[in-house]
Amino acid sequence: MDFYQVGLFFTLICVAISFVALLRERDDIHKILVVDLIETVGLVLICLVATDLAEALILPGLVVGISELLMLTELYIRKEKLPLPTYKPIRIEVMRTAPPIITFVLIVYGIILSGFSGGAVAGIGLVFYFLCKGYEERFALLETVSGYAWALWIVAFFIFMIIPEAWLIAVMLSGSAILLKVSTKMALIGTMREGRNV
Amino acid sequence: MFNLPIEGEELFVLEFGDIVNYFSLYTTTLFLFATAFIIIAIIARPERQTDIIFGTDAVYTKEVSPDNLRFQRFMAIACGLATLGAVCSGDLFNFCLFTALIGITNIGIVAGVNNRYVLNAAYNYGIVAMVATTFLFGGAATALGSCGTLSIWELAGLGMVPLAAKMFLVLGVMGEGMAPFYIAKAEITRAPGAPYVLMIHVSSLLIFLRVIEIILTV
Repeated sequence: MDFYQVGLFFTLICVAISFVALLRERDDIHKILVVDLIETVGLVLICLVATDLAEALILPGLVVGISELLMLTELYIRKEKLPLPTYKPIRIEVMRTAPPIITFVLIVYGIILSGFSGGAVAGIGLVFYFLCKGYEERFALLETVSGYAWALWIVAFFIFMIIPEAWLIAVMLSGSAILLKVSTKMALIGTMREGRNV
Repeated sequence: MFNLPIEGEELFVLEFGDIVNYFSLYTTTLFLFATAFIIIAIIARPERQTDIIFGTDAVYTKEVSPDNLRFQRFMAIACGLATLGAVCSGDLFNFCLFTALIGITNIGIVAGVNNRYVLNAAYNYGIVAMVATTFLFGGAATALGSCGTLSIWELAGLGMVPLAAKMFLVLGVMGEGMAPFYIAKAEITRAPGAPYVLMIHVSSLLIFLRVIEIILTV
């Protein structure tokens, strides 16, 4: 019995436990959390394969999981007619002074890293800035940038497949495009708290 | 094609490395069916529901706002495109992703309707669809773990994919294709903006047909 089968056995036990939790849960909002737990355990099934291909499959799996979670929570808010919270956001000194320098460092480091990890680092910087400083942003602009970056990413994939000799330009293109894409998408997380769409 | 009775003739093959997108007679039929319904979703006008107040002469028609109309039409077309992807992909994992996308767009089609029962049904379907993605990805991952590839082209006719993976795939598609059940339950067919709901039935039917083809092939 190799490690894969042992891991599979234990993962299936985890799946069974989370399904029991879902069966016993009656509250709608808690159901969302338990379903997210089930999805995460499902991703472990992919992780167990432990090859490069499996690593590449984790990301779309995660994205689908997150988008379904977002969809379900939006639906819940709409269903229960929940209002936006009206309390005053917390204000502490660090949140006024720290964001510019930390965001600058993170974005520069993200650009150096490039690719997915760079996008995540730069995105965290932007999330921090938006959360602390508030914003007046045109969302349409962020979405447009993100859309073009995605198209460039796909173009880079086609260059890989059709003219493999031009791999360097394809790497550069996909690295910078995915940096833009991931950071703009993550920046949207920071805009959930306050501010307005101009 | 693949020396199996289900596929019919081989019509078109497009190779991307080991992932081969292919059109057999079977998948082409499904593809054309989905295309026809996308065209219907593009050109159809939304149905306006008429309510009669019982015991009086009053009859009133519910208006569908342009925003809502645009959103529903977009989601219906997106659902159709995801169905097209699911019926012609030559890769188990791509099939799973497109199926999960169908689940998301299915909810998008009805989420614009401001009706408590519709939203409740959509919410319950959303939970089922989310649970089903676990089975879908689990099935694809188990197939990858035991065969080393996800390409239907390479796995075809070998019978290498374990029964558990096939069962997982079918369970996953059952969860994602559960939408017509919830539609019947909440009578969404009669909710405002009705023709776009057709796309939910079509996508559900087509992914069932496609997953049957896949589990009989691999």
